[in-house]
Amino acid sequence: MTLPRWLPPLLFVLAAGAAAWRAPAPAAPAFVPPAAAAPSGEAAFFAAAMLPTAAPSAHAATLAGLPDGRVAAAWFAGSREGASDVAIWFATLDAGVWSMPRAIATREGTAAATLGFVRKLGNPVLYNDGARLHLWFVSVALGGWAGSAVNHSVSEDAGKTWAPPVKLQTSPFLNISTLVRAPPLALADGGLGLPAYHEFIAKHGEWLRFSPDNRIIDKVRMVHDRRTLQPAVAAFDAHHALAVLRDGGRGPGPGQIRSATSDDGGQRWTAANALPLPNPNASVAMLRLHSGRLLIAGNGAANRNDLLLWISDDAGASWRAGPAVEHDADVSAEFSYPALLQAGDGRIHLAYTWRRQGIKHAVFSERWLDGAAQ
Amino acid sequence: MNPTALYGFIAHGVILGALVALLPFGAKRRLIGLMAIPVALASGAAALMHGVVGTPSLTLLVIAIWQLAAARPSLPGWRPALALIAFAIPFYAMALGAGPLDPYAAGYQPLPLLAASLPLAALLWWRRLDRCLLVLAVDLAGYASGLFANLWDVLFDPLLVLLALLLLVMQLVRPHRLPR
Repeated sequence: MTLPRWLPPLLFVLAAGAAAWRAPAPAAPAFVPPAAAAPSGEAAFFAAAMLPTAAPSAHAATLAGLPDGRVAAAWFAGSREGASDVAIWFATLDAGVWSMPRAIATREGTAAATLGFVRKLGNPVLYNDGARLHLWFVSVALGGWAGSAVNHSVSEDAGKTWAPPVKLQTSPFLNISTLVRAPPLALADGGLGLPAYHEFIAKHGEWLRFSPDNRIIDKVRMVHDRRTLQPAVAAFDAHHALAVLRDGGRGPGPGQIRSATSDDGGQRWTAANALPLPNPNASVAMLRLHSGRLLIAGNGAANRNDLLLWISDDAGASWRAGPAVEHDADVSAEFSYPALLQAGDGRIHLAYTWRRQGIKHAVFSERWLDGAAQ
Repeated sequence: MNPTALYGFIAHGVILGALVALLPFGAKRRLIGLMAIPVALASGAAALMHGVVGTPSLTLLVIAIWQLAAARPSLPGWRPALALIAFAIPFYAMALGAGPLDPYAAGYQPLPLLAASLPLAALLWWRRLDRCLLVLAVDLAGYASGLFANLWDVLFDPLLVLLALLLLVMQLVRPHRLPR
């Protein structure tokens, strides 16, 4: 069949016009500036307890505040990391008591929703945008964690029910190697900026920008040093932010927490000096407190057998050690993958992997940090 | 049901059907290829491909549909295959972190890419490559539909690049069999 000579270019022009109409052309990004700094008034206190057990092996907790003041946690748990029975579990803290965990994402459910094979599930990230509770979690169809893709689901009722997950398209090659670990930042246009990372061949942090309707509209490589992953980000104002990253380098001696900065709302990131804080190739969490100070949770130099806190009073220019949350002389012990949240009442929540057997939750006041700071 | 997931799942069924139709079944190749589509969808083969390979490009889907519609197998020429490979391999390398630049990111806000497609379309029209121009039009219409967040994903995918590699190998082994 021979087409009229004019038909293909006409169809092309129509399609190109429609595509141009569809293509996002967002304004320059800006962070939602944090609220003005307010000093903490609550007396020093600290309490910690294990979350109810969901499965023999648990890892990678994430925290989010709910609109009614409760705190929600999610983590992955199963017979072992990477097993086919690993699911994303969810529990809420109400009046000091954790609810029984329930699975909110499973391998089978994710496969059914995305109409694709799923071999295992991994890191979840929770975030409450004020109207909806978001859940991102990684899934793998083939290979190890470097083959991960990111799935996204939302809950309109504070985690009671969840929409079927949608697999995000973040990589051109088999859609592999985008992972998440830390919560997003709100953007001024109503969208979100989600810290992510890449592990296949080279490791680096990434920044995914979402439109208000949850469509990816930009992807930025944070730094290209082939050794950093799992960024956690805090914004200081509409344009400036600090990212801290896990040191995935394999050099001799202990690594250090790496950092990157942005001065244009996350559109570009520049590698900054490594922080004077150890990092044994382990995930770190960072939080900008209501007081304006920065708080980091991470591991000590030896291994994951120490879980430590560090505080900065000057936007990350200098750091001082806070109290040790966990310590075991046995370097094979593991207290890792911390998640931080400051609830509306000012209390600071910390959740972390406890010996891979469960998730432990600590809650403390900012004054406890000051009282114990060295 | 997420429309992009549904597209990817069904498209992989069609692609598997087209692959079956390439086998030497003689006059029944089209019928057998079409029958293979529901089998691929029901057996889990399409879901496996969808999970492992990801969402296929519209370019690959159009080629698969052509294979199923044509009376005889009609593979693309080796020159477009060579051009695709020459573009895709460095593209994938950079997107996976071989350098500081990530060309894939440009596909999320693709107005400059769309502008670049205008002279490409004019070249295809001038060279009377109507099929290629039609595929490009279908690709852009697919992007406009909102099924794809990134324009690059509409244009090509690793399975299409693998097909192009196979075409090149076939050309090297039996140079007279493929169109230019």
